[in-house]
Amino acid sequence: MEKFLQQACKKVDSAELFKVKSKTIPVNFEVNKLKSIDISESEGKALRVINKGRIGFSSSTGYEDFNLMVEKAVATSEFGSEASFNFPEEAKRSEKEKINIHDKKVVDKSIEEMVKVGEEIVKRLKNFSRKLRCDVTILKDYSEIEYLNSQGGNFSYNKTAIAYSVMVQKIKKQDMLMIYSSLESGKDNLDVEELTSEIIENLEWGEKIVPVESGKMPVIFTPKAALVLILPIISGLNGKMVLKKISPLAAQKNKKLWSDLLTLYSDGTIDFAAGSAPFDDEGVKMKRVPLVEKGEIKNFYYDLQTAGMAGVESTGSGLRAGLQSEPVPGISNLVMEEGKISFKEMIKDISEGIIIDQVLGLGQGNIISGAFSNNVQLGFKIENGNIVGRVKDVMIAGNAIEELKNIAALGNKAKWIEGKFKFPHIYLKSLSVSAKK
Amino acid sequence: MRKIFEKALKNKKNSADYIEIRAEKKETTTIHFQGEKLEKISCSQQVGGNVRALVKGGWGFVSFNQFDDLEDKVREAIEVASLIGKEESKLAMALPVVEIINQGLDKDFRQISLREKKKLMENYNNIIMKSNPLIQSSNVIYTDRFSTIYFANSEGSYIEQQKPFLSARFTAIAREGDNVQMASESVGTTKDFGIMERISTKAQKAAFRAVNLLKAQSVEGGEYTVILDQTLGGVFIHEAFGHLSEADFLYEDERMSGLMKLGKKFGSPKLNVVDDGSIPDLLGSAKYDDEGVRTKKNYLIKDGTLVGRLHSRETAAKMNEEPTGNARALNYRFKPIVRMTNTYIENGNVPFKDLLSGIKRGIYAKDCYGGMTTFEMFTFSAGEGFMIRDGEIAEPVKDVVLSGNLFSTLLNIEGVGNDLKMIESGGGCGKAGQNPLPVSFGSPHLRIKKVVVGGR
Repeated sequence: MEKFLQQACKKVDSAELFKVKSKTIPVNFEVNKLKSIDISESEGKALRVINKGRIGFSSSTGYEDFNLMVEKAVATSEFGSEASFNFPEEAKRSEKEKINIHDKKVVDKSIEEMVKVGEEIVKRLKNFSRKLRCDVTILKDYSEIEYLNSQGGNFSYNKTAIAYSVMVQKIKKQDMLMIYSSLESGKDNLDVEELTSEIIENLEWGEKIVPVESGKMPVIFTPKAALVLILPIISGLNGKMVLKKISPLAAQKNKKLWSDLLTLYSDGTIDFAAGSAPFDDEGVKMKRVPLVEKGEIKNFYYDLQTAGMAGVESTGSGLRAGLQSEPVPGISNLVMEEGKISFKEMIKDISEGIIIDQVLGLGQGNIISGAFSNNVQLGFKIENGNIVGRVKDVMIAGNAIEELKNIAALGNKAKWIEGKFKFPHIYLKSLSVSAKK
Repeated sequence: MRKIFEKALKNKKNSADYIEIRAEKKETTTIHFQGEKLEKISCSQQVGGNVRALVKGGWGFVSFNQFDDLEDKVREAIEVASLIGKEESKLAMALPVVEIINQGLDKDFRQISLREKKKLMENYNNIIMKSNPLIQSSNVIYTDRFSTIYFANSEGSYIEQQKPFLSARFTAIAREGDNVQMASESVGTTKDFGIMERISTKAQKAAFRAVNLLKAQSVEGGEYTVILDQTLGGVFIHEAFGHLSEADFLYEDERMSGLMKLGKKFGSPKLNVVDDGSIPDLLGSAKYDDEGVRTKKNYLIKDGTLVGRLHSRETAAKMNEEPTGNARALNYRFKPIVRMTNTYIENGNVPFKDLLSGIKRGIYAKDCYGGMTTFEMFTFSAGEGFMIRDGEIAEPVKDVVLSGNLFSTLLNIEGVGNDLKMIESGGGCGKAGQNPLPVSFGSPHLRIKKVVVGGR
């Protein structure tokens, strides 16, 4: 790596090389049967340079073509954005700040063991009902990241991930009930029981379809559905959206905007969470960043370039969407603090309302404005404090920035979603629901 | 490449029922303007490949960037496939093909300098930014990609196909106080750079629509008669119906295939739906699919009746039908799965103004932000919406999201227009993590009754 960098620096002021090598193995079950096993190996490098004050970038999966990469990076730098940062110098994490993101047990887990886990999941679900169709993926991932820049900044780490995901489908005449659920961790500690019991509970609740009248009503978003409300906030707190004045939250820092109950932070230092790493993808230490405290916006999140332009410090949030992408402000892991009320107590509190567990069209539409409008793909009706059945052909709509002002309660048991979001149940006093007549 | 492939396949034919090797070389250029600034300009080169092996009905798949040990990869794919295989392999017949297909481009984007591409996009960005003081920001994203795909299988096929791809997406973001609205227009093509030089009206339109949305009221939720324009009609048939026609959802699932039984009535006799990967030069087109099967025109619905579906070689064999040339892989990281190509509703005979007549209170929904489907339920967001009052297009409305059940919605199509347009946008289709796969879709204007629209 060092040799490559020296080579690049002959032609530019400073440079950074990011290298990834990874191996992903998904074991796939389709229609209750083991269907395919994939082994996906990938490697490549990305070169970012600062040349005459401007940023250039190129990436490649190849081996012998580093000269070409340098050439392309130099060519793009001619038109690149003006760099408003320097590559960071070497930073060290102390022993105390050490983060665990690598589990040897994941690396060593055999394909046969993974097949067994999948079979176990299918068996449990089929034991509940013979009529189910189960598609299951058991996946393990191992990656090696290396980073080096011409200011002396450098780091490397190895990271593991394991994920179980399930899609269950039940067809009755023209009604298709679909439930998906997944668990993900950096550590080989996932619990099959946790996964299947949640699905079975939903299947029981969803047995009967019940009607809903259009109108405003109380709703509970499960942790799985909470992104409907949080995605617009993630987008609005992005330092780049703020800098460009696109974010409706741009002028709202340190102002009380939402319910006291709402506290959100991003934190890339949580052991074995999917977004954790010692450093972000451009050499800045990952840390806990308070974003919203008791309804008040405390920070936006920044990468180096955006922070430089905004005249602030990077929050260690420079993430790459892939090898072909330059770092941009991104969320490592996002945690919403729990409330005090249990999911059961929330249900008891509602005389007529719905629970939203899965939606269609997440992130589709004008997210930046906060607006959402989704089909409730899996939702349940509450009547007089009890779940009475599943709703269908129902849509919810609102504006996340507005709705989060009216949080009735947050759940006391947050759950990890996709390995990187930790959300409690969110109980809103009132939300607009449209149903088919 | 052919020699390397043949060497790796040699002597392996007896240890698997079927083996294929794919390789891909591609070069990508991206230019991204945001607001006043050039946000990003980058070039990347990728070389990668994969091996897929079938042993007793089980598939092993290995993807990689390193070609040195291709024979080991073949062995590895056979090994994992053997862990699964417990039954008989079934694969529909496909005659071996040896062919090298080069794509002629009048104005080859690889010969255009980065400077020229950047200047052109800067121009479009300026059109958006300067069009109106209410325009707060923009996103102009240009991508070009030239891929060459190499394919060989254990039955003797060897195919090389070149696949050029160009796209430009213009997003205008307008703001008035806390009210932020955006509108996008995009163009995608497999043809030459000349197309990219003639799209300034798209940039103007994105800016115009974003500013207009500032004035629009949020739509009131409820059930409406809606008219979909050609884009939304195309997205609807792709999202809601097309995905259900993909046989990999059906072939091992009795209940699903019962729902999608050929001969079943799906709509009025005026409804005809086609998927055709063999139309020259559309985004979803190719002479051969990623299993080396020749693409063709496939009727899915004819005169309102379900008559066909989309297949890979495996799903065709298992359902005792013919392969349709619809096995497609996003890139070398993925195995081919059943995908759409160019999907459209054929023309009916109702002029647009006749579709409008008689609607007391409805919605005219145009363009699309995105769509999603889970089997029978679908949802898609209109990019632009208008109320229809007493048969006339009235005031604009925003945040129009349509949703419903596929089967009842198809039966609720009351009118099929006579103005079919194929839409080639810069986006693409997503399935099983393979996103965005270039496709095109189209439709004439459609009138549908009883569609649920979400709203506050």
